[in-house]
Amino acid sequence: MLEFVRRNRVGLTSGLLLLISLLLFSAGSRTARRIDPLGGVVLDGMRPLQSITAAVIDAVSGAWQTYVALVGVHQENERLRRRIVELEQEAVRLSEVEQTDKRLEALLNLRSGFDGDLQSAQIIGRDPLPWFSTVIINKGEADGVHKNAAVLSPLGVVGQIMTAGAHSARVLLITDHNSGVDAVVQRSRARGIVEGALDGGCVMKYLKRGEDVEVGDRIVTSGLDGIFPKGIMVGEVTRVMRGNRGLLQVAEVKPAVRLDRIEEVLVARGSVQLKDVLP
Amino acid sequence: MRAAVVLTTVVIAALLLQTTLLPLTSIGRATPDLLLIICVYLGLHQHTVAGAMGAFVLGYLQDAFSGSVVGLNAFGMSLVFTLVYLTSQRLWVDNAISKVVVVFLASVLKTGAILVLIAVFLSAGNLWQTVVQYLLIEAALAAVLSPAVFALLTLTQRVAVAEEE
Repeated sequence: MLEFVRRNRVGLTSGLLLLISLLLFSAGSRTARRIDPLGGVVLDGMRPLQSITAAVIDAVSGAWQTYVALVGVHQENERLRRRIVELEQEAVRLSEVEQTDKRLEALLNLRSGFDGDLQSAQIIGRDPLPWFSTVIINKGEADGVHKNAAVLSPLGVVGQIMTAGAHSARVLLITDHNSGVDAVVQRSRARGIVEGALDGGCVMKYLKRGEDVEVGDRIVTSGLDGIFPKGIMVGEVTRVMRGNRGLLQVAEVKPAVRLDRIEEVLVARGSVQLKDVLP
Repeated sequence: MRAAVVLTTVVIAALLLQTTLLPLTSIGRATPDLLLIICVYLGLHQHTVAGAMGAFVLGYLQDAFSGSVVGLNAFGMSLVFTLVYLTSQRLWVDNAISKVVVVFLASVLKTGAILVLIAVFLSAGNLWQTVVQYLLIEAALAAVLSPAVFALLTLTQRVAVAEEE
C-alpha cells in the first residue's frame, strides 16, 4: 500500500487536488457568498506590486499615446496643408474658368451682333517696349487673318492687323502712335481721326474748331476708312483742347477697351457690318 | 529551494502581467494565459508533489483575481497538470514543436473543463458562446508565447540549480 502511494504520489496528489477544487467550486456555486479563505490575503499581498506595475504601464502607455497622437496630428496637419494648397489652386483655376467663360460669352454675343465673318483669337504676347502698343495673337494667314484686318472686342475697337504670319499675327493697337481710326462724335457727328498717344491713351485730331465736342461724348467708328465697321465704340472724350488760334481742336479720348487687360479678340475676315448700328 | 524561489518570482511576474498589461493588449476578449503555460511546464518538467500543488496554486491565484467561483480555475489547472504529467510519461514531448502543441491543447482542455463545470453547476446563460468564440484565439496566443516562457523558466531553473550547487 505504502509502496503504491509512494510510486503514484504525484498522480494521487493531483487527483486529491482535483477533488478539493471540485468541492470548493461546488460549495461556492451553491451560495451567493464568495467562499475564498485566502483570496483576501493574496490580493493584499499583490496590491503593492500591482499598483507599481499599473503605474508604470500607464506612464509608458500615456507617453506612447501622446507621441503617436502628436505624430498623427503632425501628419494630419501636413495632409490638411496640402489639401488647402490643392483647394486654393482649384479655387483659382475655377475662378479663371469662370472669368474665361464670361469673356468668351461676351465675345460670342459680339460675334452674333455682326453680319460677316469673324475669327476669334487669343492674345499670346505683348510688346516688350513701352513706346509701342502691339500684341501678338494666335491666328494667322492660315486662319483667314490678313494684314489691315479690323480687330474688335465686346467693348469696342482694339486695333488692326499689322503683320500676319501663317499661324500668328501682330496687332497694332489704337493706342499706338502709328495707329489711326476714322471716327465721329456719336452725338454731334463731328468727324476726326483717333490716333494713339504716347501716354497709353488716344487723341482725336482734325476736329474743326466749330464742331460740337464735349467731355463725355462717345466716339465711334465712321466706317469710312474701309477697315473698321461703322458704329463700333472707340472711346470717350476726357478733355477738349482748343487753342487761341487755329482752325482745329483736339480731344483726348479714353479707349473703351482696357487694352492692357484683354485676352480674347475677334478679327474681321473680309467685310463685316454691325447688325444694329450704334446711333 | 532557490529554484522554488525563482519559480515563485516568475509566477508573481506572470500574474502581474496577466492582471495589468495583457488585458490592454487583448484581441477582442482573448488574452494569453501565462499561468497556464507555467502549469504545462510543471506538468512536463516537475513530476513531483510540489509540481501538482504548484498547478493547484496557479489555478487558485487565478480564481482569487477573477470574479469566477473559487475552485473553477484551480480545477482546470489541476486537470491540465494531471493530463500533461500522464502524457509526458507515455509520449515524448520534449521538442519545441510538441511543447507548443501541448500548450495549445492544454488551453482548449482547460477552457472546455471550465465550460463543463459552469454548465453543470451554474446557470450562466449564453456565456459558453462568448467563451467558445475566443477559445481558439486564446489557445493560439498561449501557444505562440509558450516557447519564450519555457525558455525563461528553463534558464531561471538552470541558473538557480547551478548556484545552489
